[in-house]
Amino acid sequence: MTTGAAGDVLLELRAVTKSFPNGTTALRGVDLVVRRGSVHGLVGANGAGKSTLIKCVSGVQPVSTGSIHWAGEECSWSSPGDAQAAGLATIHQHVPLVPTLSALENVFLWRRGPWRSTPQMRVEFDRLVERLGYEIDPDVQVASLPIGTRQMIAILQALALGAELVIMDEPTASLSEAERRIVLDAVRRLAADGTTFVFISHFLDEILEITDHVTVLRDGRALLDEPTATLDEGRLVQAIAGRELLAVERAGGAGSRTGDVLLDVTGIGTRTGVRDVSFHVRAGEIVGLAGLLGSGRSEILDAIFGADRSATGEVTVAGRPVGRSPRAAVKAGFAYVPEDRVQQGLHPAEPLWKNISLPDLGRLSLRRLLPQEQEERALAARAIDELGIVASGPDALPSELSGGNAQKVVFAKWLYADKPVWLLDEPTAGVDVGAKAEILQLVRRLASEGKAIVLACSDFDELLSVATRVLVVRGGRIAHDLDAQQVTEEELIMLAHGLGAGTGEVVHV
Amino acid sequence: MSEKVVTPTAGSGSRLPTWLHPSNAGVVYAFAALVVVLSIATASTGRPSYVSPTNVSNILDQTALLGILVVTTTIVLISGNFDLSVGSVAAFGAATCLGLMPSLGFYGAFAVALLAGAGIGLFNGVVVQYVGINAFIVTLGTLTAVRGLVLIITDGRTVTVPEGADRDALRALDGSRWVTPNLYLLAGIGLLALAAWRVWRAQRAGTSWRLPRVLVPAVLGVALLAASPAMVFTVRLSQRAVYMLVLVVLAAWVLRYTTVGRRLYATGGNAEAARLSGVAVDRYRVMAFVLNGTAAAFVGVLYASRLGSINPTGLNGFELTALAAAILGGTSLFGGLGSVAKSLVGALILVTLANGFNVLNLGANYQGLIEGVVLIVAAGMYTIALRRKQRVSLRTVDPTTKPATTGHPTDAPELTPAGAGAERP
Repeated sequence: MTTGAAGDVLLELRAVTKSFPNGTTALRGVDLVVRRGSVHGLVGANGAGKSTLIKCVSGVQPVSTGSIHWAGEECSWSSPGDAQAAGLATIHQHVPLVPTLSALENVFLWRRGPWRSTPQMRVEFDRLVERLGYEIDPDVQVASLPIGTRQMIAILQALALGAELVIMDEPTASLSEAERRIVLDAVRRLAADGTTFVFISHFLDEILEITDHVTVLRDGRALLDEPTATLDEGRLVQAIAGRELLAVERAGGAGSRTGDVLLDVTGIGTRTGVRDVSFHVRAGEIVGLAGLLGSGRSEILDAIFGADRSATGEVTVAGRPVGRSPRAAVKAGFAYVPEDRVQQGLHPAEPLWKNISLPDLGRLSLRRLLPQEQEERALAARAIDELGIVASGPDALPSELSGGNAQKVVFAKWLYADKPVWLLDEPTAGVDVGAKAEILQLVRRLASEGKAIVLACSDFDELLSVATRVLVVRGGRIAHDLDAQQVTEEELIMLAHGLGAGTGEVVHV
Repeated sequence: MSEKVVTPTAGSGSRLPTWLHPSNAGVVYAFAALVVVLSIATASTGRPSYVSPTNVSNILDQTALLGILVVTTTIVLISGNFDLSVGSVAAFGAATCLGLMPSLGFYGAFAVALLAGAGIGLFNGVVVQYVGINAFIVTLGTLTAVRGLVLIITDGRTVTVPEGADRDALRALDGSRWVTPNLYLLAGIGLLALAAWRVWRAQRAGTSWRLPRVLVPAVLGVALLAASPAMVFTVRLSQRAVYMLVLVVLAAWVLRYTTVGRRLYATGGNAEAARLSGVAVDRYRVMAFVLNGTAAAFVGVLYASRLGSINPTGLNGFELTALAAAILGGTSLFGGLGSVAKSLVGALILVTLANGFNVLNLGANYQGLIEGVVLIVAAGMYTIALRRKQRVSLRTVDPTTKPATTGHPTDAPELTPAGAGAERP
């Protein structure tokens, strides 16, 4: 872009690695150079290591090996406060503002002093607003503002702290088109003014439009690092997708397309923006929902399961209509692996055996009233054995388990209850590579046993490795219905981004 | 049942069973310590023994109303809610019953009172669960409004039942006394039965029984049986104390051994996970409120039964005593954790403190201060114990696995956390 990459180096990462003691390696030697006054784009699939990279840079987590240099000097920030003091501010996707305070008070929230607002603050606020090029009423309550404006206040907050480098994590993910414009314009304006940005986004058009330089992360490595001017969408997509380390072979003919229709969904809509979603899943079929953050994947699953009370539409299992509540759905034969296994899937203070037996407690109990603890424990022991859950035993607590093992416990909750329809929401999120492969194997096994499976997954390579059919979800609708055998990951990424049609057999629904 | 039985908590040879472990049963030890201190104090000042059959009978009788209420309050707390209204509901139940007795007779009026209590509980539950207003606010509202209702229907005057058949029926609700057999004898029989049960269980499971686990209760049981003719300890239980004990045993059994109990704990422990596992979370929580309201009305009528009258300001603040007792018993205010038996011990502590002050002739002025301090100290100990427990589990496990389980460790979380906020619309 205009500012070019001429400035001196503000932030430099040299061979940074980050591994967690549980065996997960998030970063495998990343080199990164951010020049003063530039807008540096950071892209990559979910799980590529972007968030970990930001956490390391902003002092939330220490790096394992390698070093971080700030304005030429090696730095060892041990807390986000240190980084902030040095001039590095991070704006997270979920903007942490105090909703009950005014814009002015939020911008100067961290300023010490006895007064909530002073005339100097107002003067400074006006000056910052002018730099930003976006008018905000200093006295308006933040709670009443749209998300886009809150992003602007977060930027003002960063500027008020004297930030030289602002890291923005998915700033536009939840914004409307108009709000997106405003944020992008502000970034450009401030960059021209000398502020440096690291801009993380899933929207490649945005990246190409606004950044000077792009780094693509994949599997914890910086695989592409070039000036934006030399790039186009095709190259970016290829770099993002690449060849996955996780070599789950493309299952030849995974799932069947000939079974009876087990799950039929008609005209699902939600208040959160899902509109008119209809599809069916046959026994033995794995239908993948492919979409970006906020595309409505999870919302669709929530609506089908009845977890979203406001959802409308009809769901039938084997021809029988299903009531609109999780309880009715479980009775009708649904198994549900929720997106956030800690908040939604597990009881962290209860032992594994109580967790596992919960959905099927009635059947496991004498006269549906008296739970048979011996049998529940035996069931948990069986699950630990069969799924290879690393735990001290049925009495272990879920909070003691690693992500992958905890996820297997969530699967175990439904596995022995013989549920014909499985809804899986990001079952491999936050799971190490080994457990990931095991979970995908389990999903295939379920399909081969004749279950109907709906799988939402943001890792498209993974999705294609198990799915029979892929539904591309965008803006709360099903945009495409594709045969998983005839679509590539690159095409899927393009379609999910809304970048024209792939070459596969594309059916607009 | 198959032959292969999972060995239940192997290696717990002579160690204390988990439910007797100080971190689980602290309140029981605290109660024991309190009784010992009071016993020594009474003995050293030349007063009659504190742990006399008479005094034990008195304490149980004085605990009964609180004890009944603490059971249902604990159930509401376990379900993850909060009920401040029970003191007013109890007074309302009593006022309804006594007020309607002239026209409906005792049984009709009693039934209406219980239904009224259940109705207020239902209102609380429905407004909290289906409208989605915080339970603290809703029940603070009913606490105030129902007390106002009591003042309206009584016109601010004490309602008294005239002597007659109805008065007798009311009295009969709490009229009988039941003298227990010699408790030493009972304890001896109980210990022998425990020993026999352990042998039987081990043989059924085909495992060898551990000698100390059988021998210790057996020897103790024989010793108690032998001593029972010489040592006699009988307690005179009032009818309200019997109500309390029956309710505690019943509730403890339901919570511990039935699917209803299991699902109630699941509901309070993680409502969203329970809901997504097919548990009817709303229904469980509403039922807890209904139960609490009904029990409150029952307690109110019991309260009025001895005097045959109810003062419209009676039982004021009773809900706070019940909550204090539940907290003393280790019930979590955030749900999913608690035991009615331990809550009852909490109630016993509060009553024993008051009773001890009377027996020792200490100024009643100090009572409130001591109770408050005891409550805060107990809560502090629970909090510290919990923190230590968490620290231990963090040390035994890898601290960095935590971010992995709280979301996506290496990338941004989903835009809209599914179901967040769906629990309370």
